[in-house]
Amino acid sequence: MLDRRIFREIDWPTILLMVVIYLIGLVFVHSAIYYQASHYIWRQIAWLVVSLLALLISLLIDYKVLLSFSLPLYIFMNIILLGLLFFGRLVANTRSWIVLGPFQVQPSELTKIVVVLLLARILSEYKEDLMSFRAFVVSSTVVGIPVMLTALQPDLGTALTYLPVLLSAYILAGMRKKYLVIILVVSCLVGFLGWNYGLKDYQKKRIETLLNPGHDPRGSGYQLRQSKIAIGSGGLTGKGYHKGTQSQLRFLPARHTDFIMAVIGEELGFLGIFIVFGIYFLFLYRLFSTVSVSPDRAGVYIAFLSAMLIGCQFLINVMMIVGLFPITGIPVPLLSYGGSSLLANFLVCGLVINVRMRRFAFI
Amino acid sequence: MARIYEDLSRIIKRSKATLYLLILILFLLLLFYWKIQVLDHEKYWKMAEANRLRELTILAPRGLILDRQRVVLADNSPGFKVSLIREGIKDYQSVIDRISSLLEIDKEELKNRIERYRFLPAFEPVVIKDNLRLDEVALIEARKEEFPELRLEVEPKRFYPFDQAAAHLLGYLQEVSVDEIKANPERRWHGGEMVGKAGLEKQYNDYLTGQDGKLVEMVDSLGYSRGEVNRIEPQKGKDLILAIDFDLQKRAEELLQDKEGAIVALDPRSGECLVWASSPAFDPNRFITRFSPGEWLSIINDPGKPLENRVIRGLYSPGSIFKIVMALTALDTGVITENTTFYCSGTVEIYGKEFSCWFKPGHGSLNLPEAIKNSCNVYFYNLGKRININTIASHARLLGLGQKTGVDMPGEKEGLVPSSDWKRKVLGQAWFPGETISVAIGQGPLLVTPLQIAAMTACVANRGISIIPKLVKTKEGEVERKKVDLAPDIFEKVIEGMWRSVNDGGTGHGAYQPGFDICGKTGSTQIVSRETAERLAQKGGEVKKAHSWFTGFAPRTNPQIVVTVLIEYGGMGGQTAAPIAGEIFKMYREKYVRQKNISGN
Repeated sequence: MLDRRIFREIDWPTILLMVVIYLIGLVFVHSAIYYQASHYIWRQIAWLVVSLLALLISLLIDYKVLLSFSLPLYIFMNIILLGLLFFGRLVANTRSWIVLGPFQVQPSELTKIVVVLLLARILSEYKEDLMSFRAFVVSSTVVGIPVMLTALQPDLGTALTYLPVLLSAYILAGMRKKYLVIILVVSCLVGFLGWNYGLKDYQKKRIETLLNPGHDPRGSGYQLRQSKIAIGSGGLTGKGYHKGTQSQLRFLPARHTDFIMAVIGEELGFLGIFIVFGIYFLFLYRLFSTVSVSPDRAGVYIAFLSAMLIGCQFLINVMMIVGLFPITGIPVPLLSYGGSSLLANFLVCGLVINVRMRRFAFI
Repeated sequence: MARIYEDLSRIIKRSKATLYLLILILFLLLLFYWKIQVLDHEKYWKMAEANRLRELTILAPRGLILDRQRVVLADNSPGFKVSLIREGIKDYQSVIDRISSLLEIDKEELKNRIERYRFLPAFEPVVIKDNLRLDEVALIEARKEEFPELRLEVEPKRFYPFDQAAAHLLGYLQEVSVDEIKANPERRWHGGEMVGKAGLEKQYNDYLTGQDGKLVEMVDSLGYSRGEVNRIEPQKGKDLILAIDFDLQKRAEELLQDKEGAIVALDPRSGECLVWASSPAFDPNRFITRFSPGEWLSIINDPGKPLENRVIRGLYSPGSIFKIVMALTALDTGVITENTTFYCSGTVEIYGKEFSCWFKPGHGSLNLPEAIKNSCNVYFYNLGKRININTIASHARLLGLGQKTGVDMPGEKEGLVPSSDWKRKVLGQAWFPGETISVAIGQGPLLVTPLQIAAMTACVANRGISIIPKLVKTKEGEVERKKVDLAPDIFEKVIEGMWRSVNDGGTGHGAYQPGFDICGKTGSTQIVSRETAERLAQKGGEVKKAHSWFTGFAPRTNPQIVVTVLIEYGGMGGQTAAPIAGEIFKMYREKYVRQKNISGN
């Protein structure tokens, strides 16, 4: 079954870009929390090893095989998410973590991969270029269930990262105007109910902060304010590595995770931001290029949804830290500190590589 | 190949369109970052610097206040205080709750304190408790990790080693008021700063206040210091050396013990004040350690008015002291000569009304020096009949009454010298000649302060050269002397009477000191008129005694010291005030005159 030729087809440029992004992240995680850096750095390096191994192993399995297991995997992951709600340990006020010895895993991150697979499988079965109502309902439900379970943990940030996947699915499958109306109605309804019953006060405040950033700089606006100060004070070339006052004196919140880009913006300035944007651009472009060479419809879906998953998280994060999007705790894929996020994103990229290396039918 | 069977071109096109959209967004975002990082860089740079740096004031010690022999009257001692830096606080209520339980401060009070200085910049510490006990210092120090917003500081604190001594002279410090801060916004104030609010502390506040130092330190987001960036050492305020002789001052305060009144002594040659005592007094240290509301109310409501500086703010009738002015006026205007005599039978009828002398049997026939010696009322009634009130007023003003002496002490009162103009303006009535008769013996609407009387006495002692009383030691060249437009020889004649008053069995005999040529004049001011007093006494009612005055100088030739004593409700001047003045003269002579003689021999 294994063909050596397949390995020759592994998309090394993509993996190289992934590792480069990871390394930039590692360097700035070190700067962001240098006083306890070694602890974090070793952990993150260990996670890289784990993620690379998982990636290579996942490549051995044909994505078509993965597709055929997608439904049971999906059900399994949702049971875990449900179980977390009841038995999960509270970490930082959410029940989103499974603690495995020294490692903590966030199942909601891994569920995204399964959702991508299942959506690809379901939507590729409809061969039309316009989405049927059935397909619309089914795909919405497939994304809706884990989103709800994650939002209940409550981890609104991770839950939100599912939405670009659904949106991408709509786009690719062929959106119809009447579905748009339904989406609008449903989102208004969810928004109304969520605002009145679901959202915590601090979450509401964050949305209010986005609308009115000057209001209450000591309260919910604090994170955004400090982030903007960090980025803006970086200037064109930055204050220098390890010399960002906003990050080194801990004015910046969540420096090694959600606000890692603010650290880069402060210490390397606009040039640093430009370089990271550039590398990310190449990376996303490479991921998207797989879409055009995909051997089948499912492959197109997998590559597109995965690329969108990574791309939208990046965009949301860089918008969030300058106040163009509510602060929701979305890390930068591959760049931010965080083990299960790294693993999940490696596996997501792995799906794209998987499709690419099997673009020629070896039957 | 699988592709043959499927047409994927549409969905691939959609994917590409989406990619281009993403790239567009990415590009627009890059422009947004350009704006923040390059175009608005300066604004954010300043905000980052403001985050990072904290500027703190290092308080400069106040200058000391010393007496003429360099005895320290106002000192500094180290005091601990704890301040709150509002900059890092996110949740005020919980911070207030925690701090109030740590330091045992009332929550409302703490909140009000913080609220009071809301207009100051947030990095400026607000003093929330000072004069900490050592156990409180230890407690805060031990728990400083939990309370990053608290700042423990050692700062120089005003300390008055002699407690109540010279309290009115020194004055006191109090926290700067919001109005004072707003009146002087250029100066950098900090919450809880102490400034002079009375006495010399107020008068010389700028002189005594040092130049505060500055400490710029780097802080992290929790307000912890991460090291010093810059430091400017504070400069101590300048020391103030007074003319006051603390030995005499202490003696004067002893003599005023349990009495209400004032003693002032000055050197007529320079105007330098040697004694400045007002009783009852207060402890200026209590203003530093802050009063409880109860203590403050009891001081404010004390009928003895301990905060009132009687030397310049006590307004009294001069009583017979004013006979000095009358005598000078009469001699100057030529109404009498030294040898003009009047007959005192105990009473005299003027303008159809009977006026009586304090000495019922009458003094018989007497000339001016004898009239001053015996303080004969009838003699001066006769002068009052012959001199216009406005002439009296202008002479009184010439001698410094009815106006501020110009002493270097805030809050001085002017007193009052009545004239016909004054009465028309204030009461809308014409002056009656009968009223001049009362003024002639220092009654009526006349009001003077003890310092005015001392300054007037100095002018008499100098034979017509007036000086401005001074509390701070002055150099010889800086003394302001003014020649009064009266002939020197008329002073000699009045001085003869004042000499006899003390040395020849007159009313001032109580002040007599063997070997020291004291000239003086007593006075007693009737608080109710003599007639009413007698009526009250007949009915068995309680008669309040009169205020008791004595003013004098010594020695007769080349006078060195003027002493003025006022005792409220002290009775006749000769009985109470004169012996007290005598004690001051005695001590002065022992300390200065005899010493000089010994060293001279």
